[in-house]
Amino acid sequence: MNATAGKNRSITWVQTGPERNYNMKTYIWKLFTDFVELISHTHTFHAHFSLLFTVGVTTAATAIAGAYHMINPAGAANISLIYILAIIQISYHTDKYRYGIFTAICSVFFINYFFTYPFNEFNFTMAGYPLTFLAMYFISILTSATTFHLKDQAQKLQESEKLILEAEKEKLRANLLRAVSHDLRTPLTSMIGASASYLENGTSFTAEEKRELVMQICEDANWLLHMVENLLSVTRITQGGSDVLKKTPEAVEEVLFDTITTIKKRYPDMQIHTAIPDEFLTAPMDPLLIKQVILNLLENSWFHARSERPVECSLSGDEQSVCIHVRDFGAGIPPEKLDSIFDAAPSAPTSASDTRKGMGIGLSICKAIITAHGGTIRALNHSDGTEFCFTLPKEDTHFEPEDQDTRC
Amino acid sequence: MNQKIKILVVEDEKNIRSFITSVLSSQQYQVITAATGKEGLSQAASWCPDLILLDLGLPDMDGMELIQKIRGWSDLPIIVISARIQEDDKVKALDQGADDYITKPFGNSELLARIRTALRHSIRPQTDRPYRCKGLIIDFEKRLVTREGTEIHLTQNEFKIVSFLAKNCGKVILYDRLIEHIWGPYSENDNTILRVNMANIRRKIEPDPAEPVYIFTEIGVGYRMAEEE
Repeated sequence: MNATAGKNRSITWVQTGPERNYNMKTYIWKLFTDFVELISHTHTFHAHFSLLFTVGVTTAATAIAGAYHMINPAGAANISLIYILAIIQISYHTDKYRYGIFTAICSVFFINYFFTYPFNEFNFTMAGYPLTFLAMYFISILTSATTFHLKDQAQKLQESEKLILEAEKEKLRANLLRAVSHDLRTPLTSMIGASASYLENGTSFTAEEKRELVMQICEDANWLLHMVENLLSVTRITQGGSDVLKKTPEAVEEVLFDTITTIKKRYPDMQIHTAIPDEFLTAPMDPLLIKQVILNLLENSWFHARSERPVECSLSGDEQSVCIHVRDFGAGIPPEKLDSIFDAAPSAPTSASDTRKGMGIGLSICKAIITAHGGTIRALNHSDGTEFCFTLPKEDTHFEPEDQDTRC
Repeated sequence: MNQKIKILVVEDEKNIRSFITSVLSSQQYQVITAATGKEGLSQAASWCPDLILLDLGLPDMDGMELIQKIRGWSDLPIIVISARIQEDDKVKALDQGADDYITKPFGNSELLARIRTALRHSIRPQTDRPYRCKGLIIDFEKRLVTREGTEIHLTQNEFKIVSFLAKNCGKVILYDRLIEHIWGPYSENDNTILRVNMANIRRKIEPDPAEPVYIFTEIGVGYRMAEEE
């Protein structure tokens, strides 16, 4: 038993020997093997980029320093400035301290070897040498630390912005749902009531009363339909996120004409004056959604503003964007409401006229659509009423590749 | 007594079928109904209707398939009723050979107007007599366009577009059809050049380009020229 125990111990000892040696070796050559490891074990693009960048910038700095040295052999101080610049660049653009430190060490050696007297020889006994070394060391560490901090903060900021955006979307959704259920229930109740009373007491009504009831049902049904169309347009925006709107370059005037044809079919009495510029304007958009926006704004002016003169609908454009204005000559919007008018708040209806025609939903949908297009929408009061205007950018920032294919 | 015009309504929703039937009967049309695609096909074959109103969303077969089958033996006018709001479906149906489309929900007057237009086009042969509408006269032979007696100068392509739309007035013409007609089958599939031409035409022929009365736009589908008077 003893013999086997001794044998075992001796084997163990033999095994640990080389390991210890190996550890010592790696300890000494840590800095250099780090780079070897980077190449052989880390296959991330980023690590390769950092390494290549470090080597590249150091070589470039040495080349520049060499050229400078040939022109002005006495300018050793300026040469260290070139290296310091290289260290700052490397620390700034890489993601680990070691690249900057490695460059600092290389720089010290290079300056010493190539650019200080005696040339092409190491001489570490020069006065002030430790100071140069320390200064470069600290510059690299400080720059790296500062950049990490900055990058870290930028990332944190991005994350919190994303969270805020999510929360806002959620809020919009919840508000919409609340507004929708309120606004759907009201016309449905009135339709059910009217049709039920027609069925139950149909015989006692006069022809005029019957007509009145059926007209009321028809009006409510139409209103419900427009509401549902609005809601459908929301699903078009939210399908898979706002970035994948199916945008095509459209002639803005044609979208406007199509919308006006539709609204005139809905409200034959409504009067609209249209104005378009001589210039032909196009913008990338989902035309059905933009049509919905113009419809909502015009409908709004018809129901809420009770415009006394024809509503003016005009189109204008500048270098970056096109702008559509809908100007009514009616009641106007109370100034305290102007800011929040696009926020689907199902506010307790303040005036009798707003109890049924849910104003909030239509406008908040407008805002959602325009925002998804990268445009802006606002409302302002003028002396005789209200003007809504929205802009659409002429250039599409996310142009989908398949669109580009069809164009060329 | 005149023979009544026969209209076949292929629609699976009972309520909509009955309301269309009552509207059409009141206008002295003879109405035949079918609730499924198969039934629609056999009715179409046995009755030889003058026009088909076809709902695209049928339970047993796709409306597109039905259009293709009917187009295999007849070019009687087909008006598609589409509940889908996506413009792609309308375009696809028109591409398959449907004559016109109407989107659910629609008003009675709109439905009747579409039916009249489709019937007129199927009855009247293509002629070269001038198009006349609200003071606009297009003389296809002399290649002359006048409004209220004043000549309007159009470029060659602009005239081609206007005359193509005028010969098919009342019908919606797809963007692609127009492009193919003007610039040939292998032209770029780019609407912009067509849009620019249309904008120029509008500025030339419309009394007020901001409120068109002759050429209407159907977003995502095409253009429709006002019916002749």
